[in-house]
Amino acid sequence: MREKATTLYLGPQHPGITGNMMIRLKVEGDTIVGATTEVGYLHRAFEKLQEKRNWLQSFTLMCRFCVPESDPMEESYARAVEAIEGREVPERAKYIRVMVLELARLASFMLWYGGQNGSLGLYTMGQWSVGDRNYILDLFEELTGGRVYHMYIWPGGVRRDLPKGFEQRVLKTMDYMEKRLDDYDDLMFDNAIFKKRTQGVGIVNKEKAIEHGVVGPVLRGCGIRSDIRIDDPYEVYDKLDFEVPTSDGADIWARALVRRREARQSIRIIRQVIDMMPGGSVYNKIPNPQKWTLPKGDAYVRTESVRGEIGMYIASDGGLNPRRVHLRGAAYVHAITLLEDVLIGENIADVSAIMNSLGTCPPEIER
Amino acid sequence: MQEIKENLINHIKANFPDATEKEFDGNRLDFNVDKQCIPSILTYLKDRLGYIHLSHIACVDWLEEGEFEIIFIVWSPEEKMKVFIRTRIDRDKPVMPNIDMIWRQANTYERELREMFGVEFIGLEAPDEFLLEDWDGPPPMRRDFDTEAYADDTFWHRPGREDALDVREEIIRRSREEIPDFAKKYSR
Amino acid sequence: MSFFDLKGTLKPLTALKQFGRKPHTIDFPKVSLEAADRYRGFHYNEIDECIGCGNCSTICQNAAIDMIRVEGVEGKKGDSGLRPRVDNGRCCWCALCVEVCPTGSLSLTTDYMYVSDDPDSFLWVPGIDNPEGKNKLSFTSADTSLNDFNRIPMPELEGMDRVKSFAEVVLGYNEEMARAEASRCISCGLCTEVCPDHMHIPEYINAIASGNDADAVRIIYDNNPLPEMCGKVCTRRCEDVCAIATRGDAVAIRWLKRYATETAKTADITYEIVNPEIKEPNGYKVGIVGAGPSGLTAAYYLALRGYDVTIYEANAKAGGATMYGIPKYRFPIESLDKQIEYIEKIGVKIHYNTKVGKDISFDKIYKENDVVFMGVGFPKAWTLGIEGEDAKGSMQAVNYLYMINADEKVEIGNKVAVIGGGNVAIDAARVARRFGADVTILYRRRVQDMPADWEEIEGAEDEGVHIVPQAIPIKVITDKKGKVSAIEYLMAEMVPDEKGGRPKPVPIEGSNKVLEITALMGAIGQQGDYSFLEGAYAEKIKVERGRFVVNEKQQTTDPKVFAGGDAVNRTADAISAIADGFRACKAIDEMLVKK
Repeated sequence: MREKATTLYLGPQHPGITGNMMIRLKVEGDTIVGATTEVGYLHRAFEKLQEKRNWLQSFTLMCRFCVPESDPMEESYARAVEAIEGREVPERAKYIRVMVLELARLASFMLWYGGQNGSLGLYTMGQWSVGDRNYILDLFEELTGGRVYHMYIWPGGVRRDLPKGFEQRVLKTMDYMEKRLDDYDDLMFDNAIFKKRTQGVGIVNKEKAIEHGVVGPVLRGCGIRSDIRIDDPYEVYDKLDFEVPTSDGADIWARALVRRREARQSIRIIRQVIDMMPGGSVYNKIPNPQKWTLPKGDAYVRTESVRGEIGMYIASDGGLNPRRVHLRGAAYVHAITLLEDVLIGENIADVSAIMNSLGTCPPEIER
Repeated sequence: MQEIKENLINHIKANFPDATEKEFDGNRLDFNVDKQCIPSILTYLKDRLGYIHLSHIACVDWLEEGEFEIIFIVWSPEEKMKVFIRTRIDRDKPVMPNIDMIWRQANTYERELREMFGVEFIGLEAPDEFLLEDWDGPPPMRRDFDTEAYADDTFWHRPGREDALDVREEIIRRSREEIPDFAKKYSR
Repeated sequence: MSFFDLKGTLKPLTALKQFGRKPHTIDFPKVSLEAADRYRGFHYNEIDECIGCGNCSTICQNAAIDMIRVEGVEGKKGDSGLRPRVDNGRCCWCALCVEVCPTGSLSLTTDYMYVSDDPDSFLWVPGIDNPEGKNKLSFTSADTSLNDFNRIPMPELEGMDRVKSFAEVVLGYNEEMARAEASRCISCGLCTEVCPDHMHIPEYINAIASGNDADAVRIIYDNNPLPEMCGKVCTRRCEDVCAIATRGDAVAIRWLKRYATETAKTADITYEIVNPEIKEPNGYKVGIVGAGPSGLTAAYYLALRGYDVTIYEANAKAGGATMYGIPKYRFPIESLDKQIEYIEKIGVKIHYNTKVGKDISFDKIYKENDVVFMGVGFPKAWTLGIEGEDAKGSMQAVNYLYMINADEKVEIGNKVAVIGGGNVAIDAARVARRFGADVTILYRRRVQDMPADWEEIEGAEDEGVHIVPQAIPIKVITDKKGKVSAIEYLMAEMVPDEKGGRPKPVPIEGSNKVLEITALMGAIGQQGDYSFLEGAYAEKIKVERGRFVVNEKQQTTDPKVFAGGDAVNRTADAISAIADGFRACKAIDEMLVKK
């Protein structure tokens, strides 16, 4: 009796900078008939570590949840702690936080460009975008002292004020990035190979989206206009003017179009923020960190990262250490149940591209 | 916003009279229910009231009270409202009904709670291992599992730091102070 | 979307124009990238400024910093002698240690590369292992810090209002202020070393911060039976070396002690909270001369250990200098009464109005007891040594304060001059102000040289006391009835000392000034009165330069006699007296019971 289906192990390394995750594919020929994900390569147990760290020490663990875009995690933690305690954040700090979040979003887009193309075998984009990302990392180094893990946004505000002349350098970098985005369009979005490989692949239609709880660009790629920044605004997003692009089609091509337009919106937001930034202090100082307790209660805050909605749930029991910190990234939903569903009927060669397009980030899944 | 909350409270109380609510500032509303109602209240919220998005399922270990608290957070894009459904279950025999037929993504959350806290979801079909590999100890996210002690026992400490001293001990030694035992817990 | 998508095939070829662009990369190692001004690289610690408080080690969430002994660094007052060592294998460069450093000595530098073929060389002591880091400081806490440098201000009565009465000037913290002030402490413990009595300061401050006032009282009573007095008038050497004081206000250790002890409102409540364990009588008797702070301390702790203790006090009330020397607006008598009542409650017997040498002989005490402790203090004042100082209206400040506290009336008129610059002079001046007099203090050096507590000097100035520095009195002028009418004094100039000591005041010829006064008080120092030691005792118990000679166990040259307080130590404050009494108690216990 010949078996029709074979099992292949795909991973844990994938072309396309997604992270370490294994997928067990049941294939018949070249078509996938079943998929099971296996995660667990990057479990660092941050949430357990926080049982022994007090409220200030825990913030240093937050950025390590996700490498390409570490600031939304820091910001959600800071906002959740402020919600439990009722601490006010100065206006200038809120504007700086938005600027940092959008810069992180741009840097993450740069990596995404490289990843999406790399998963299809088009490696030139990756070289370009990762190189350009370094200019944004230079800005972060000047502002926060670190390139990848910033540890800059903490409960009460931000850590230090902007250095002298920082706004000018940011604007110069934004001008440069805009020109580069035009170059990317030429290479990627007008590219016949890219179009042929991505159109009609990895379809997530509206019903599937709601059933699986899809968020972010994947949801916007189905035509539903949903973004935390306009639905449940935080920081100063309600004062800023920006678009939330959507696209019908629900395939990888649609999502890539959504992301392409979002990158330009990020640049627009950064320019507005620099224009509108008020003066004042940037930090509402906490008491002695070794004796700082929060009242009993809990909070759930959501942030829009480049992959979708990040939810941070924090429970406090009135003590020095957090009782429970539970982060849920967008990839938690997309990369396990949704991926297993979407892969059925696709080719093996497209698995990587689908993973990248759905926004798989295993560090976020496993924390 | 206040009307939406009132409306919601009335709907829920009409169908689930045992639910107790708690209001918060902003767009958040909490309901405390018994665990048996969980599938029905979530289905009701999703199908009838427009809370179509499941945002989070969290679990908090209240060791002192001997209970786990499970919290379901749902969101309505129409009314822009977050609703927390909270329930408490016994810690020694934690059993919950499975809800992944309402939202498929709940499967992942339940797998994690099963592995990390030891909560049993009736009817859950999923592979046993999720994040941990070859783990046969107690569910690690429970508060009575001490990871520091486990790490000290299992792993090798790199030598070179044995000469570490405590500042308070050093000063006590130098001035020959004697601290009474009941005061020692306040030293740091 | 056909395969022959011409635009889609040709457009990407425009990428070839990138060949003309300058590359992003630089030619390392010929060209090196400068790290940013705020870069978080390796640590650097200024070893001389670091006080070894260990705050960096506590906040490090990776447990990467150890405090170790380092060659060339010795511990001393205000410095634990330990320095941080960073485990670079665990450090994540979050710079929280920099933000909580109270002195600001720890910073991060722009160094980020370290290569070595020795796998164990990742443990460094910053500042010693990388001295060149000093020039590359980048992430510092020069302008910001997570420490709270501002003390919660203490409410006080207004300056000119408070002269109208003897109401207590300092109003005390309420619960909220005390908890906020206590949470500033970083529990380093540097203060305990400097306290003569080594009180367990971080422990009781942390108890107050976590809301356990009863525990705080118990910790305080472990080695101090007069804590409310210390909480109001101690010289607080601890606050001078507080780690937070290096760049801000010291934690208000004295006011927190006062807050905690005031929560026990009566002696009964104190007894209930402290719940002292009183051992069974062990058959030994101890006699104590003088119920000053040293005598009371020795008595209290010996009584707890089961000794039969009797104190012989010459005055009508116990307390010694703390009763008869400190004015009521600083230290109300009710507060002292409460503490004495508690001490008597646990079984200490005090015989008042019993002067040793007059009402009872020293010989009798010596023979009836197994051990004797002397806490006799310095009751006599030095005379000024100027002409006319024995006129009517000229008195010693200590005697004036004694009489006022004993509720006697003293005539001082309406213009008073006080000679001296110590706490006694300031106390006498402020008391005289409260009786409506116009007071001038004449001190031979400058105001900043005055040995009095700066808070007292400020308080005196707020109440309208005039301070004339660099004034040396030479003559008292009396009227026909022999009563003081004026004082003549010379101005002095400060001449720097060649040997580097304090500048000396040298009187200026011809700068005579005359101040009209109705009363004069001298407050230039005190000495002891050891006339109660008669005969053989006076020879056996050695006195040198006005003080008893004792070893480090407070034992005099007669092994059965111990001594403490002003008559023994040079620091002459209440907490040193208490420390002497405590040490004597431990030594007596060791000698008699534990041998």
